[in-house]
Amino acid sequence: MAQILQYLANGLVFSSIIILGSIGLSLVYSIADFANFAHGDTMTLGAYGAFVAFGVFGGLGGTVLGLPLGFFLSLVVGMALAAVVAVLTHILVYKPLDTDSIGLLITSIGVAFVYRAVLQATFGTDFLQYDISRSGPIPVLLDTLDVAVTQRDVAIIVSAAVLVAGLHLLLQRTTLGRKMRATADNPDLARVSGIRTDRVILVMWVVGSALAAAGGVFLALYSQLDPRIGFNILLVVFAAVILGGIGSVYGAMLGGLLIGMLHELTPLLGDIGLPISNAYAPAVAFVIMVAVLLVRPRGIAGDMT
Amino acid sequence: MSALDVGTYSPREKGVVGLLGALGAFLLVAVLTGFLAPAYLLYLIGLSAMYMLLSMGLNVQWGYGGMINFSVAAFFGLGAYGTALLTASGSPISGGVSPVIALFGGLGLAAVLAVIIGYPTLKLRDDYLAIASLGLAEVVRIFILNESQWTAGSAGLTGIPLFFSDWPVLGDLTYPYIFYAGGTPVFNMSQSVVTSALNVVLVTVIVAAVYLFLRRIHQSPWGRVLRTIRTDEDLAETLGKNTFAFKMQAFVIGSLIMALAGVFYSHLVLFVSPSDLQPITTFYVWVAVILGGTGSDRGAMLGGFTIVAIQQGTRFMTDTGLLPIGAAPLRLMLVGLLIIFIVRLRPEGILPPERELIWPDSLGGGRDE
Repeated sequence: MAQILQYLANGLVFSSIIILGSIGLSLVYSIADFANFAHGDTMTLGAYGAFVAFGVFGGLGGTVLGLPLGFFLSLVVGMALAAVVAVLTHILVYKPLDTDSIGLLITSIGVAFVYRAVLQATFGTDFLQYDISRSGPIPVLLDTLDVAVTQRDVAIIVSAAVLVAGLHLLLQRTTLGRKMRATADNPDLARVSGIRTDRVILVMWVVGSALAAAGGVFLALYSQLDPRIGFNILLVVFAAVILGGIGSVYGAMLGGLLIGMLHELTPLLGDIGLPISNAYAPAVAFVIMVAVLLVRPRGIAGDMT
Repeated sequence: MSALDVGTYSPREKGVVGLLGALGAFLLVAVLTGFLAPAYLLYLIGLSAMYMLLSMGLNVQWGYGGMINFSVAAFFGLGAYGTALLTASGSPISGGVSPVIALFGGLGLAAVLAVIIGYPTLKLRDDYLAIASLGLAEVVRIFILNESQWTAGSAGLTGIPLFFSDWPVLGDLTYPYIFYAGGTPVFNMSQSVVTSALNVVLVTVIVAAVYLFLRRIHQSPWGRVLRTIRTDEDLAETLGKNTFAFKMQAFVIGSLIMALAGVFYSHLVLFVSPSDLQPITTFYVWVAVILGGTGSDRGAMLGGFTIVAIQQGTRFMTDTGLLPIGAAPLRLMLVGLLIIFIVRLRPEGILPPERELIWPDSLGGGRDE
């Protein structure tokens, strides 16, 4: 039982990361109408941006949720960097293209390579870590529930929840949010209604990439940082987006939660005797994705927006 | 292919031929001046030909049938692993099987996988097919990486014999292989050159056979249906064609050609590991196909050649020590920029299918099909 609780706790942390990644991917999918293969590398970009920023702000005093204040400042820097790069990429690369969604998909692979090449050339391929000392599991949870959860895990979950709640408020309570939902739903109708969809699309890139960057930063914080982390997780993020239903932000959140949980629950299969080790966690996610596509091509929340 | 071939080469095509000729001449001079080892040049030719095979295989799926297959690396890997597991001395399963028989082991694995991947995914929308096939290819890679009792895991397979190792004459050549003229040795060929030359002969035969086969089926009624499906699947359906069956056939044929490339690769490099199945291999082949010209087999050949040029050229460029960037990121950067610029500037590729799409019978008429 404690074992299952532990898996669920791990799942919550991993889900937080996947959710942050899948929201951006889903936004771009619905607005720009293509599967953005550079999204994973946008996550990596944010993680490295925060890494550099942490070198500057790391000394800042005070801690929040067990992490130095400078870390959260660096997180914001990483998010801003990813947003700027994504907007520049949109203006320089995607916008001038006269091609279909497949052409854009293939182009985004090229963009992903360029991002990764720059990171590799600058930082090398070695594993890096944010210079934050790791603390052990929180004693209370360990004693009462026998579940090992670190302060760092809690910080990731809480930060992700704050970001997601912020996005929810933006989408539901602001004029900009209404315009974004209208554009996502039907770009042509939104345009003839007088919404300047060009600007809304730029905002989508900013929001989507910033959230992706946050996901990347937390991923790097959760494990470690190297130029491939984002790409390695991209398919799991795609699985979440497809499971939730492409184009639905709330579906992406739900899909992210489910895929993240299933990813971390994979060891259960081993516990009940199936010869499937942890290494197959991503594989399980892909297989679920294909199965969902077959049964419900529009995803489990396909018609929500 | 008769009348139109005469004098109808476009300036661009002549340019491409000229460029390739110049590069060939340069390489030849490099070999003659001792700058480049002959065995290495032959190895490069073999590698280019292998990428040509992969590109032609993808071309059947994407160029003819419009299927976005992102699992090229998996089919390539199964071909390579299939033959390696059967022939290699380091194989955890069997080993010692003749490469000529093991060849079919690799092809068989790929055919089975093609049906397993194709059956659920070929009905999907284009971009879903891309994501799903990439995901399933990763499942294959994760399997090979982790089931080390069958696949030797991350260590990879060593001890793979040369393709002709158990052939009566070719396997028994003694080295160095010296040609005599009147009692004096005039030409001394080392083992590496002979085996590399044999590999080039082998791959040339395979490429030629595949090219002729593809040209034949592309012009057949089967190929025409497939092209109709790519253009307008609903139309093909309305005309009473079982489009799923056609797509599946094209998918399997393409996958078998990719596996053939994998088999050749195994016996060329004599080592396979799960890293050969990384998605980057798939993307290299995609670059080759869209660069060369989607649907064009000549383009696929040019693309395959370009990929090897980028792979090996970056190594030379960084060896000079003049660049502030390592070989791996430079390669990634070049491939990335290449993708972006092709889609932006020349989405139809450098050698798009032109004459290939005109039936010989209709040459007397206009340029419409």
